Amino acid sequence: QIRLGVGSNAATSVDYANPKKYEIGGITVSGAKFLDPTTLVSLTGLKVGDEIDVPGDAISSAIQKLWDQGILGGVDVRATKIEGNKIFLDFFLTERPRLSRFDFTGATKAQAEDLQKQISLNKGRVVTDALLNSTRTTVQKFFQDKGYLNAQVVIRQTPDSVIANSVALDIRVDKGEKVRIGELDIERLNPVNEVKGGLGSLISGIWKEEEEGFSETKLKRQLKKTKEKKFYKVFTGAKFNRTEYEADKKLLIDFYNKEGYRDAVIVSDSIYKMSEDRIGIKIVVDEGRRYYYRNITWSGNYLYDDAMLARVLGLEKGDVYNREELDKRLNYNPSGNDITSLYMDDGYLFFQIEPVEVAVEGDSIDIEMRLSEGSQATVNSITVAGNTKTSDHVILRELRTLPGQNFSRSALIRSQRELSNLGYFDPEKIGMEPVPNPENGTVDIRYTVEERPNDQITLSGGWGGGLGAVGTVGLVLNNFSLRKATNFKEWRPVPSGDGQRLALNIQANGKRYQSYSLSFTEPWLGGRRPNSLTVSLSKSIQRFNQRDEFSQIQESFIDISGASVNLGRRLRWPDDYFTLSNSLSYFRYNMSNGSTIFRGYAEADKIRDANNVSFITSFARSSIDNPTYTRSGSSIGLNVTFTPPYSLFKSTVNNFQWIEFHKWMFDASWFHSLSGNGKLVLNTRAHFGFIGTYSSKGEIGPFERFKLGGSGLGGGSFIVATDYIGLRGYEDESITPNGAGGIAFNKYVAELRYPVSLNPAATVFVLGFAEAGNNFGNYREYDPFKLYRSVGVGARVFMAAFGLLGFDYGWGLDTVPGLPGANGGQFHFIIGQQIR
Amino acid sequence: CGQYNKILKSDDVDKKYAAALSYYEKEEYEKAGALLEDLMPLLKGRSEYERANFLYAYTKYHQQLYLESSFHFISFGQTFPRSQFAEEAAFMNAKSLSNESPSVNLDQQSTAQAMSALQEFMRRYPQSKYMADANKIYDELSRKIEVKAFDSAKQYYKLTNYDPQYYKAAVVALENFRKSFPSSVYNEEAAYLRIDAQYNYARESIESKQRERYLEVISMYQTYVDAYPNSKFLRDAERLYSLSREAVEKLGKNQPAAATATNNQ
Repeated sequence: QIRLGVGSNAATSVDYANPKKYEIGGITVSGAKFLDPTTLVSLTGLKVGDEIDVPGDAISSAIQKLWDQGILGGVDVRATKIEGNKIFLDFFLTERPRLSRFDFTGATKAQAEDLQKQISLNKGRVVTDALLNSTRTTVQKFFQDKGYLNAQVVIRQTPDSVIANSVALDIRVDKGEKVRIGELDIERLNPVNEVKGGLGSLISGIWKEEEEGFSETKLKRQLKKTKEKKFYKVFTGAKFNRTEYEADKKLLIDFYNKEGYRDAVIVSDSIYKMSEDRIGIKIVVDEGRRYYYRNITWSGNYLYDDAMLARVLGLEKGDVYNREELDKRLNYNPSGNDITSLYMDDGYLFFQIEPVEVAVEGDSIDIEMRLSEGSQATVNSITVAGNTKTSDHVILRELRTLPGQNFSRSALIRSQRELSNLGYFDPEKIGMEPVPNPENGTVDIRYTVEERPNDQITLSGGWGGGLGAVGTVGLVLNNFSLRKATNFKEWRPVPSGDGQRLALNIQANGKRYQSYSLSFTEPWLGGRRPNSLTVSLSKSIQRFNQRDEFSQIQESFIDISGASVNLGRRLRWPDDYFTLSNSLSYFRYNMSNGSTIFRGYAEADKIRDANNVSFITSFARSSIDNPTYTRSGSSIGLNVTFTPPYSLFKSTVNNFQWIEFHKWMFDASWFHSLSGNGKLVLNTRAHFGFIGTYSSKGEIGPFERFKLGGSGLGGGSFIVATDYIGLRGYEDESITPNGAGGIAFNKYVAELRYPVSLNPAATVFVLGFAEAGNNFGNYREYDPFKLYRSVGVGARVFMAAFGLLGFDYGWGLDTVPGLPGANGGQFHFIIGQQIR
Repeated sequence: CGQYNKILKSDDVDKKYAAALSYYEKEEYEKAGALLEDLMPLLKGRSEYERANFLYAYTKYHQQLYLESSFHFISFGQTFPRSQFAEEAAFMNAKSLSNESPSVNLDQQSTAQAMSALQEFMRRYPQSKYMADANKIYDELSRKIEVKAFDSAKQYYKLTNYDPQYYKAAVVALENFRKSFPSSVYNEEAAYLRIDAQYNYARESIESKQRERYLEVISMYQTYVDAYPNSKFLRDAERLYSLSREAVEKLGKNQPAAATATNNQ
């Protein structure tokens, strides 16, 4: 179609062997009926007066540019005239019909929608044969992937009468029968029995099963996506998909290799038609023999001796030869040590190791590990990219790879963990790329991050707490910036990026219950040390109406205002996972008819106003790997609250005007992944809490006590100065020794978790649990082994915008004295991450 | 609004195009943009195509959709390289990208893109009437890159109080800054901070390494004093110099064998 030739009436010819420079004397367009010639000329990028080579790039690029518009069926360039060094060009264009619309017949509406995304039919485009062909192939492949192997596609063109020079396409699909795999047959060619006298015979007693070879069922199981249809396999689709089948064949060989059969090959495989809707597959495998390691030797190692390296490698003479496992132990082993990290953590970035099979005798393989240690590399520059919201300094201060230090792979991995724990970035997309500069022995490290939303907004209305309707408005900004708040340009939609946390919560139910709280945290006060400062303010008012024993309505209220300042510090000793925080808080209680609020605590009637000045210190260690779905690590914390010991100075102090107590809380939680892929996780927890007085005569007031049972959200009459601890399988607060609450509790939990989705936008996991706990009214009764037990199942959903939500169904195994219905089957709704 | 929807649904290309132009004149860029978007495939091969393309990119620019406007200005330049608007499109592409450039402490990918677009523009249209503007924008952007690099290097210095490991990191990072931006106005401060970090690094080091590291402070100070004889940090730097000199003297007494103060870079 594209020719640079001599026009029929032109007398000159173009010599293709010798390109010559011409000046364009004129450009004309012919053959176009619907298109504007001037525009077409401007599209060519050529102008009268331009100097061009003929033949040359200028003309081919002009053709390409016209062609790229997708509105032409053919472009033909001719030199109509050549006068001296002037050339007159004519573009002869063939117009083709454009696509006005297209429809599918024989496909469902949903399939048609999916297809539209895959095919490149744009309305207004010129219809060419290539376009029709690619469309036909795409549609056919679409149905073949769905199991319709015999799908036929025909495209019919009809002129569209509405728009001139255009056609409508009708894509007709005849899906045919859905084809399934009727039989799958794996034949093993000369399965070799163990050779007597080889290394294999030493341990053949252990590998009895494999000595006779693998069962066909076991082999079929290795084909993950290619399954045969059997009447009892209700959930097996048994679809045939070419790409998946090819991948499955590779899996089968991988399986053999893993088991020491490193020579295994698929000799032949055939797919045959059984009936209209059934095909059969036959795979023939030559297994070869099973191999074992004999001698492993090391060369090129100057830093570590053979014995040390052999210990890290952990493979012994007689172990089954497994190339995949070997590579893992040499290069990267996520669940333990490997040879490469031994070097890489000490700056040997250019370290290389190559296992060479130096001898293969019978079923035994000798391997020589050839090491090249290279020189140590120091970190030069650190760059961060992808932070479109979070400021550089918030990221840089978390990184453990510092300029000037020796390169260390474990520091790199630790940095990744720290970035992931910030919660601002998608943990699956944190990138670390060391860029070595071998000429000066340094390495630059490039980190890339991808921001994810992690602010939370709660807008909820609920019914409960004996209050009726309660509305909540909550806002948690986890990556807030106070500095940017003054510049309105930086609000998008809120000032963010400095790693500060601002939380605002308002809960109200008309006059009866109102609660306001505001807190602000700066994790790096002054920006020079990881010392956090938290300031929080809160106020709540609750009013109660209750009938007393004379059926008189008693009105009571409790009004609590508080403020607290907390200073936290990351410690570097005993290790850098420890934190210490101290806070000073003041609460003022104003109340009437206290006994109706703290039921069962008659003396509360005497309290009018009370003040609580307390000092809280908490010492904690957390090494969890990921806050949303934790797979490994632990968190342990001791939290001590104490007030000044007023009673030691004054003998006749009003017990409650200045509240005095000391309170000890201990929480420990461990995570272990139980399955190879790290998905099944066991979480074990233990929690203890104690409240005491300073003198033996001292009395523990109704404040700050423990209530155990239910979801731990304070379901009943929620009171601010009380610790609510969940115990699933029992009603909310059912395990509370008297109305006011207990002074000592303990609780033990074992939970098995399995993730359904690890998508960072919505992490979902299911869990099964067994837990036990108790709450005691005085220390004489305290017994850590006298427990209320329960078991149950549940699910959690973590969504970036809403935080953690979940529900549990628990079954309480022990009856609570005096509350016959409090145990047994119970549903619990969980909002937010709970510590206890 | 009813009028607009009627035009949007209409099949009359000429009427639609006229309406798009009039919305553009009235600065109703969203409406003008939507109409032009509809029209574009139909105008292909017609004389209005070029102008429609150019205005469409501008509607995106005026709606502050700079990434989109950049994309459309680029594609305009590629489709109509000989257009009278090609120069303006190239400049507007760079300007769009520079509007996307975020504040200094964030990822500067857009800034780098804008800078290379500006360079490309300056190379192709050295006589352009937009040259002064382009130079001004370019200076602002390169200033940003410089400030970011300095802030990052200084960040390591800031963290030295928290962990002495950062002293060495600060020395390396500040030196890297000097190498990357040799003519920066921040080099004076960087040089002083580097002396301070190196001095503390030497002070925190084990004794066998101290002498060598104090000598490094002295050599750094000498370079600094030559480069910035009137520096506002001079007094503090001088103090660090004297302290290092004393320390070297003291260390020298303990090990008289180690003699001359060599400048080992």
